[in-house]
Amino acid sequence: MTASRVHRAAPGAVSAPAARPGPAWLRLAWLYLVSRRAPTALALLAGCGALLWVALHWHWSVSGGPAAQVLFPLLTEAGAAAVIAATTYGPFGEPERATGRWLPYLRLGATVVLTAAAIGALALGSTGGQLPGGFAAMARNVAGITGVGLLCAIVFGGMLAWTGPMAYWVLAEAALADRLTTPWVWPARPPLDRGGAMCAYLVFVTGLVLITVRGVRESVRDTST
Amino acid sequence: MTLTSTLVRSTPRQAPAVAPRNLARLLWVELRHNAMPLVLPLIAVLLWFDSYRIAATLPPLWVMRLFYILGQGHALLDFAPFVAGVAAWMGSRDGRRGTGDLVTATVRPRWEAQLATWAATVVWAVGAYLVFMAVMLYLLGRVVAWGGLPWWAIAVDGAGVAAVASVGFAAGARFPGRFIAPVTAFGTVLAMGLSSQTGFAANSGWALILPTMSNGNFGQDAGIFYQWLPDLPIARVIFFTGIAAAAVGLLGLSPAAGGPRLRRSAAVITATGAAATVAAIVLAVSAHVGPYGTVIPALHDAANDKPIAYTPVCRNAGIPVCVQPAYRPYLGDLAAAVGPVAREVAGLPGAPVRATQTAALFAAEQEHPVQGWVGQVVTLGGSPAVLSMPTGAIALPGAFGSYDAGFVDQIKVEAVHAFAVTASAFGNPGQAAVEAALLQHAGIPLPAQPNALGDSPWPLPGGGPHATAHYPPPVAAAAERFAALPASARHAWLAAHLGALRAGQISLGQLP
Repeated sequence: MTASRVHRAAPGAVSAPAARPGPAWLRLAWLYLVSRRAPTALALLAGCGALLWVALHWHWSVSGGPAAQVLFPLLTEAGAAAVIAATTYGPFGEPERATGRWLPYLRLGATVVLTAAAIGALALGSTGGQLPGGFAAMARNVAGITGVGLLCAIVFGGMLAWTGPMAYWVLAEAALADRLTTPWVWPARPPLDRGGAMCAYLVFVTGLVLITVRGVRESVRDTST
Repeated sequence: MTLTSTLVRSTPRQAPAVAPRNLARLLWVELRHNAMPLVLPLIAVLLWFDSYRIAATLPPLWVMRLFYILGQGHALLDFAPFVAGVAAWMGSRDGRRGTGDLVTATVRPRWEAQLATWAATVVWAVGAYLVFMAVMLYLLGRVVAWGGLPWWAIAVDGAGVAAVASVGFAAGARFPGRFIAPVTAFGTVLAMGLSSQTGFAANSGWALILPTMSNGNFGQDAGIFYQWLPDLPIARVIFFTGIAAAAVGLLGLSPAAGGPRLRRSAAVITATGAAATVAAIVLAVSAHVGPYGTVIPALHDAANDKPIAYTPVCRNAGIPVCVQPAYRPYLGDLAAAVGPVAREVAGLPGAPVRATQTAALFAAEQEHPVQGWVGQVVTLGGSPAVLSMPTGAIALPGAFGSYDAGFVDQIKVEAVHAFAVTASAFGNPGQAAVEAALLQHAGIPLPAQPNALGDSPWPLPGGGPHATAHYPPPVAAAAERFAALPASARHAWLAAHLGALRAGQISLGQLP
C-alpha cells in the first residue's frame, strides 16, 4: 500500500455517521452541559426541591429562634448553590481553554440556566408549606449563595467550590442565632430588604462575571488528590 | 535430562517482612497528598465563629461553657460536613479518575490501599479536631477556676468525626463523581439537623444516642458537685466506632477489594461494626435519668456516684452564705440577694441561720412527685433553718439572657417565697401580700416585682413575664399597707402569725 491510497476507505469499512441534524451551537451547548454533568445537577436540584417540600410539609424545625426556623429551607438553598458551583469544574483543562472560544458564553449560559432551575425547583418545593420569607427571600438567598459558590470555585478550584455555600450556611445560621443584622448575612434580613438583596445579587453578579471571564481555577490539587 | 535428574526446588523462603514498612510508606504518601488540610483553616474559622465565640460569653463553669459546644454538639456540627465532604472526595479519587482497574491490578489488594487513604483522612480529621479542641478548651478555661472536663464527651465528638469521615469515604468510593463531596457534606448537615430536631424534643429512648441530645445528660452541676457520668458517652463512642467500622468494612466486601480471606475479614469487621452500633442503641434505650445524669445499668460504675469533695467558700451577709468554689464568681451576687432578706426575717421563728448552695440535679422532679412542683428552687429547712440554694438550676448572669440584677432579684424572690410559703406552690393572697411587702423592704419595689416574679416559677397573672403582669388590686393594697408598717410592728405581727401564714390560714383581711 502506498501513501496515495491512504485517503481511500478500507474495503468493508463503515462510513462515519452523518452529523446529527440541528444547529451546531445547540450541539456545542449540549456537549458542554454534559461535560459539566448538568443533567445530574438538574436531578440534584430537583432533589433539593423535593427535600424542601418534605421539610415544609412535615414541619421539620429545631426548637426556637430565627436560626432554627430557617435551618432546613436555608440548607436546601445552600445545597442547590453547592451543586451549581460543582458544575463549574471542567474536565478538559488547558485544551478546552485554548480552543473553546465560545467557552465564556457557555459558562455564563449554563450558570444562569442552572440558577434559574434551582430557583424553580425550590419554588415548587415551597408548595409543601409555609416557606419563611416567601419566594423573594428564597430567590435572593439562592442567588447570593450561588455567587459565594462561584467565587469559591474561582479562588479555590472546582474541588472545593462546595465549601463556600456550606461555610456560608454555617455562618448564616450562627449569625441568625446571634441576631446579627448585617446585610451580608442576607438570610437574616426581611424578604424585601434592599440592603440584603443588593449584597446577595452583587455577590451573584460578581461571581457570574468572574466565572464567565476567567472560569474556575485549575488547581493542581484537583487532579493530585 | 530425565525427570529424576531435575533438581528438587527447595521450599521458597518466606517473603521478607516488608509489608508493615510499605504500609507505613503508603500511609505517609496518603497523608501528604490528602485534601483534608485544605479545609482545616476554614473549619478553624467556623469553629471560632459558631462555637468558641458564643461559649466564651457564657458563665465561667465548664458545664455552662461546653453546653453549646459539646452538649448540643456544635463542635461536631462545625466539623462534620467538611470532613464528610472531603473524605468523600478522597474516597472517590480512583473512580473519578477512572483508575480503579489500574490500581486493582497492582500487587496490593485494593482494600488495603483504600484503607491507607481512609486512615490518612481520619488521622487528619481527628487530629485536627483534637488540636482545635485543645486550643479552644485552653482559651475557654482561662477563667474557669474549678471543676473537671467531660473527657468522655470530648471523645464522643472525636469518634463522631471519625465516623462521618468513614461514612463519607465509603460513599465516595461507592459513588464516585464530582457531586459526591457536596451531596455527602449537605447530607451530613441534614442528618445533624434532624438529630438536633429529635434531640431537642426527646428526653429518653433511642434519641439519647444522638450527639446533639443534651436533655438529661449534659448540664446541671455535672463536674462540679458530682462526676460527669460516662455511661451515655461510652455508648455514643461505641455507636460511632461501630458506624466507622461498618463503613470501612463495606469497602472490602466488593470482589475487586482483594482475595477471599481479605473479604472475609471485611465481612467480619462490617458485622462487628453493625452489631456495635445496634448494641449502643440498645444500651441507650435501657438508660434512665438519675440525679447525676443518664445512667445505663450495663455500663454504670457505682464509684461515679460519689460526690466530689470540696471546701465551701463563704461570705458574711448577716448570715453566712456559702457556695461551691466553682461558683465563687457569684458569691457576691448571692450575698447581695440573701443579706437583705435575712435582715428582714432575722429573729423570727424558722428564720435561716445560714444559706448554702446545694447541687442542681438531673432527676429532681422524680424525687418530688408533688402536684404543683415547680422545679429546683431555693428551699428552707432543718433546725436551725438553712436556706438551700440550687444555684446551678437558676439562670446565671451571662447565660441565656440573664444578668446580675435579674439573678439577684430571682434569689430574693425564691428566698422570700421559701420563708412565707411552706410548699413550692403559689401562695394564697395573704401570703402573696406579705411576700410583696418583704420583697419591697429587701430591695425590689412593688412596681418592679411583676418583672422579678416573671422569671420565677410564680409569675403574676395578666401577661407575659415582662409585659403587663400585675398584682390583683386587693393584694397590692394589702401589701402596701403591710409594707408601710414600722419594722418593729411588722416583725411583731410576723412573729405572732408566721405559723398560720405559712399554713395558708391568713386572708387579706386579717393582715394589719
